[in-house]
Amino acid sequence: MSDPLLASAKAASHGLFAQSTRMRVLSENIANAESTGKTPGADPYQRKIVTFQSLMDDDAGVDLVDVDEITRDKAPFRTEYMPGHPAADDKGYVKLPNVDMLVELADMREASRSYTANTQVIKQVRELVSMTIDLLRPSS
Amino acid sequence: MSLSIAMLSPNINRLEDAGTGPAPGVSALGSAQSTVPQADFAQTLASMAADAIATIKAGETTAMAGMKGQASLQQVVQAVMQAEQTLQTVVAVRDKVVGAYLEISRMQI
Amino acid sequence: MQPLQLFDLAFRQNEWLAQRQAVIASNIANANTPGYKAKDIESFDEVMRKTLPMSVTDAQHLSSGDGSSILAHEGNSTHAEILYSGNDVSLEDEFLKSGEVMRNYSMNTQILKAFSRMLQSVTKA
Repeated sequence: MSDPLLASAKAASHGLFAQSTRMRVLSENIANAESTGKTPGADPYQRKIVTFQSLMDDDAGVDLVDVDEITRDKAPFRTEYMPGHPAADDKGYVKLPNVDMLVELADMREASRSYTANTQVIKQVRELVSMTIDLLRPSS
Repeated sequence: MSLSIAMLSPNINRLEDAGTGPAPGVSALGSAQSTVPQADFAQTLASMAADAIATIKAGETTAMAGMKGQASLQQVVQAVMQAEQTLQTVVAVRDKVVGAYLEISRMQI
Repeated sequence: MQPLQLFDLAFRQNEWLAQRQAVIASNIANANTPGYKAKDIESFDEVMRKTLPMSVTDAQHLSSGDGSSILAHEGNSTHAEILYSGNDVSLEDEFLKSGEVMRNYSMNTQILKAFSRMLQSVTKA
């Protein structure tokens, strides 16, 4: 690595981007947890899942994380008996999104923790660089 | 060759204090050298100057490489620090030598 | 001219610490990447041992160059459990290592500053 400290900052900033994408998707899921379709028997909002992948950056010598893809969760939808609902099928059942609020909130907490960890890395790198450059400052 | 500053400065002071002429000062300095016992003062200064120039040049090269992103921060800072210290040492030696010369030249013969 | 061997040692250790910081940053950034295994680099003693013999008079010999001899390897942590996803990064471990890096790096730079001041006081007086 030509400069490992710069490489650290790069890895951390990719991490920040990945985690914030994850949080965006999670908040979409949470916001649409009750979004149904409009016509009878239509599908509701389908939960989105973010997958990460890691790629080695050869110049920097660090593993950068990137968002691989945002896919839809193929888990089955929940159903509820709501006969008057516009999306109710002929038996009166409405399909609801396959979003489990508790899972999304727990995931959100973990994403937030990872995000904070990455910002701490950037802060530490900044301090290390500042200390090193400070050596060149004339003393007295 | 590498003379440590600790080795060099007391001898420079001794050269200044002696003030009786170059010969005893030179042999005093010569005997203090660990590498070549019989090297004379001029040779010492010349090799020191060459060393210093090389260090300063290396500092410049590393600094430029650092600016291009080819050297790490630690390498740049180390090279620049050493260049600075070398320059300070050379200037100090030069000042002492010039001062000693002036004192000697002021002596009544 | 290198008056002190200490300078070189301190800078070499700082380079090693910076590389360790980079690996820690990779681990933290990939804390949620499936299949990612936490990495660490070989210890400073190992690195020093591999670059022996050190001869004081040869300036080239002591400079660490591009550091390509320090390789990152997996499987360092003693108490990381491997999750269902195959990821075994423990943020607590990484924070611990990160704190060590910061402490040692500051100590080295303070030592460097102090010795540099000492040298300056000798040459200026």
